[in-house]
Amino acid sequence: MIAFLLVVLLVLASTIWAMFGGQALGLPVGELVLLAGLFLLFFGAGIYVAAALGLLGMLIGLMYSDRPFWLFLGQTIWAPSSNYVLVAVPLFLLMGEILLRAGLSEKLYRALNVWLARLPGGLLHTNIVSCAVFSAISGSSVATAATMGSVALPYFERTRYNTRMVLGSLAAGGALGNLIPPGITFIIYGLITETSVGQLYIAAVMPSLLVTLLFIAVILWHGLTHGRMQAPARLPLEARLRSLVDLVPTTLLILLVLGSIYGGLATPTEAAALGVVGAAIFALIEGRFSLRMLQDSAEATARTTALIGLILFGAYLLNFVLTSLRVPQAMAEMVSALPLPGWSIVALILLFYLALGTFMEGFSMIITTVPIVFPIIVALGYDPVWFGVVVTMMVEIALISPPDGTVMYVLQGMRPSGGPITDVFTGVMPFLAVYLLAVAILLALPEIALWLPRAMS
Amino acid sequence: AQSATSLPPGPKVSIITLTQPIPNVPQYTLVDKPWFGEELPKRSGGRLVIKTGTWAENSLSGPEILRLTRSGQVDIGAAPLTTVSGDVPLLDGVDLAGMSPDIQKARRIAEAAVPTANKELERVGVRILGVFPYPAQVIFCRQGFSSIADLKGRKIRTFGASLNDFVTALGMQPVSIGFPEVYSALERGVVDCAVTGSGSGNSGKWPEVTTHMTTLPLFWAVTAYYANLAWWNKLDPAVRGFLEANIKEIVDLQWKLGADGSADGIACNTGKADGCKIFNLVTKNPMTAVAAGPADQAQISKIFADTVLPGWVKRCGARCGELYNEVIAPISGVKYVAK
Amino acid sequence: MLLGALATVRHALQSVARAMNRAAGWGFVVCSLLVTFDVLGRKFLGVSTQATVELTGYLLAFGIAFGLAHTLAERSHIRIDVLVMRLPLGLRQYLHLAAAALLVCLLGILTWAAWSLVEESHLFNAHDTSVIAVPMVLPQGLWAFGIAVMALFACVLTLEAMARLAVGDAAGVERLLGSRSLDDEAKEALEAAGTRTGAKETA
Ligand code: NA
Ligand code: NA
Repeated sequence: MIAFLLVVLLVLASTIWAMFGGQALGLPVGELVLLAGLFLLFFGAGIYVAAALGLLGMLIGLMYSDRPFWLFLGQTIWAPSSNYVLVAVPLFLLMGEILLRAGLSEKLYRALNVWLARLPGGLLHTNIVSCAVFSAISGSSVATAATMGSVALPYFERTRYNTRMVLGSLAAGGALGNLIPPGITFIIYGLITETSVGQLYIAAVMPSLLVTLLFIAVILWHGLTHGRMQAPARLPLEARLRSLVDLVPTTLLILLVLGSIYGGLATPTEAAALGVVGAAIFALIEGRFSLRMLQDSAEATARTTALIGLILFGAYLLNFVLTSLRVPQAMAEMVSALPLPGWSIVALILLFYLALGTFMEGFSMIITTVPIVFPIIVALGYDPVWFGVVVTMMVEIALISPPDGTVMYVLQGMRPSGGPITDVFTGVMPFLAVYLLAVAILLALPEIALWLPRAMS
Repeated sequence: AQSATSLPPGPKVSIITLTQPIPNVPQYTLVDKPWFGEELPKRSGGRLVIKTGTWAENSLSGPEILRLTRSGQVDIGAAPLTTVSGDVPLLDGVDLAGMSPDIQKARRIAEAAVPTANKELERVGVRILGVFPYPAQVIFCRQGFSSIADLKGRKIRTFGASLNDFVTALGMQPVSIGFPEVYSALERGVVDCAVTGSGSGNSGKWPEVTTHMTTLPLFWAVTAYYANLAWWNKLDPAVRGFLEANIKEIVDLQWKLGADGSADGIACNTGKADGCKIFNLVTKNPMTAVAAGPADQAQISKIFADTVLPGWVKRCGARCGELYNEVIAPISGVKYVAK
Repeated sequence: MLLGALATVRHALQSVARAMNRAAGWGFVVCSLLVTFDVLGRKFLGVSTQATVELTGYLLAFGIAFGLAHTLAERSHIRIDVLVMRLPLGLRQYLHLAAAALLVCLLGILTWAAWSLVEESHLFNAHDTSVIAVPMVLPQGLWAFGIAVMALFACVLTLEAMARLAVGDAAGVERLLGSRSLDDEAKEALEAAGTRTGAKETA
């Protein structure tokens, strides 16, 4: 759908350009429509996502590249396979699987249930809040969604919470991973644009609070419109206090992971490994640890990692072909060159990121286009720090915008009893909508991002 | 010889270059982009059409650049010798830690080594067209020190075996973490120190999270322009000569930028506005530059001779030791003696 | 006859794939221990592997590649088959087969690419630049092997599905290639019919 939006946008843009007497853009509109059509056909016909991405890449390469691009594909897929920063993903997954088998995640949710069940939306709030807390330690959105997903999904399996809302809230929560500091996107943006990473972190605080609150609002609204009448009876205070004991192990684990990063003991990637060992120790204390249980956790981790890995192969293949043909760069240049008022250029650039995010991996998206777009943003009088926050939000949105988004695929792969992926797509929609709303608010009121850095300096 | 400023008419030649890590380094904005992208096409009378680009824009991280060039994705690539030395270990020997604090000497060593390196590289279908440095590679730390002897015991993020050997001999503790995490690691104290170019650290915003830096160049991140050999040999001789003559000029500019950039990076990081023209002036908490005294210099040279050089020969093989003695030792002044 | 032979080969490959997935999983456990050792070692003992970045990267590559085939056997690789599932089974089976065939195409390309990379590393005699200088053919070879096993498995799966299609066993095609959700939807339908108990209600 968004691929079509992209084509429509491009055709529209080039028409406007021509109307204002610009030169012919030489954009192969026909081919673009054809490719977008193929993209849709592949997804619609139930082709494996990795095959859809990878074969589309091969096709585009064979049609347009004058280089022997296939000679470099081995290196292209080896890079994400052995990327140190991606190591955190299976490690956080493993931590989640151990917590699950030790019964700790069940305990966590049961205890929270005692406190939250009467709230409209109930435990769904936990998904958002725990993802937000986890984002404060992890710089990766996929890892955030994977960890909280592996803890939460099995619990919700036995409840009558709306599956789509469960999946949607977890995906949305995952998409806080990069926005809530620390985040790798900010570091890369800071490197490219020579913007202070520290300032970016501070500027991201209020917007991430805004997004989190909007997510909570979505859940409240859902809770108020769906089955509020079935709220359980209030438990006596004593029972509620007693339930707090069950929160202790998980809370300690979070403190261990958080503390190891903020205390300067470990990097976020390394903290994931500490989390695994910590989870195993708590399982041991619970009397639930065994080699068999560890092996089951490890096997489940390997499956989910392989699922992500195959999609990464396809995505990197497509990515390599597109960037070596300079497609994202050319499109960014074109959008930036349109003779339109400043705010609409910025809006178009953001739409362009939204479209690009459907089939590109977030980091490559930033690295290939920010160098072109950034000078224009600055020339239009927008603040580099503000733009860094907004771009990071667009990267997060890319991760949860159907049909192609790693966070959604990971959650789909972790569902204990399966179900169509449209559950995830539908579930994430209201959250996607408010995420976009947050971007729009930030566009209208840049002060939300800029006030705190100014106040602190 | 073919003139560097004009090219006889003939069929158009379209060239792809991919030369620097990220688009905003001065090596790219001040040299590669204007020269390859504009000056050469202009001088060639429009015969050359050159597309320039950087690793990051193509999701590349550096070690694969030799293979990228070899496989014909680009015609000319560039990457530091140490970065690609996993594929060709000999290249590491040109830019060892502690070998040459002096940029003139570093240049003589690098240029003397090119023919030997090319013999090795041509076997795999690649050829070096020219070599140039990055700003001096120095140590950034989050806590104060007044000489390198004070660094003993501190945790330092390193990359590559030679640098690892070097810091270990300094009594520091090498730590292996990925590049994107270095900024936060310095901020939180996961590591105490890290190594990069004086200017690269500035671009990476390291002054926000560190307080002191050394100024004595440990090495130069000596980088080469590699050409795909088959493409290079098939070029019209006039075009090849034109490119050779121009790359000579480009390399000269890069060496000048290497020297200027080293000083500029230090000035910018320490908040000295008058010396800061290339990188960004640090106004909030400027850093302290720690110059190396004679004792420091002597210690660094000794570590190079006793630890770094033998360590490299051990990894690279006895033949590398012989080639070093033949080509580099006469310039570096330190002979490799097998033990 | 042919069908039986293909099914036997598939079962054999499934066992191999399960064992490989188990190895991949233990790889991640080793990875956690290695990093934990590195973190605690450098803090309290002043020791470190000095090559954690490289080693953990290889364990990730190993883990991804060795889990691939088993994940296919479990039918967990992601497809967007919403539209497909609304079609009648007779039509659906062709789309399952098309998806499998295209997956084989992709894996053919990936296997070839991975193998070429190993060959290139062999030609270069490439090692990583860490202190331990691991020969790249080792981790890359294991990784390429994992991808190749998935390619082989996808091939056999596709062949068997073709054979089943030829004898008119559409349900068999779906069992081989359909998403995992199918069985579960059936299971859920049964549960919904009345066996479901103990669900805590809230929102
Ligand atoms: Na984060
Ligand atoms: Na998307």
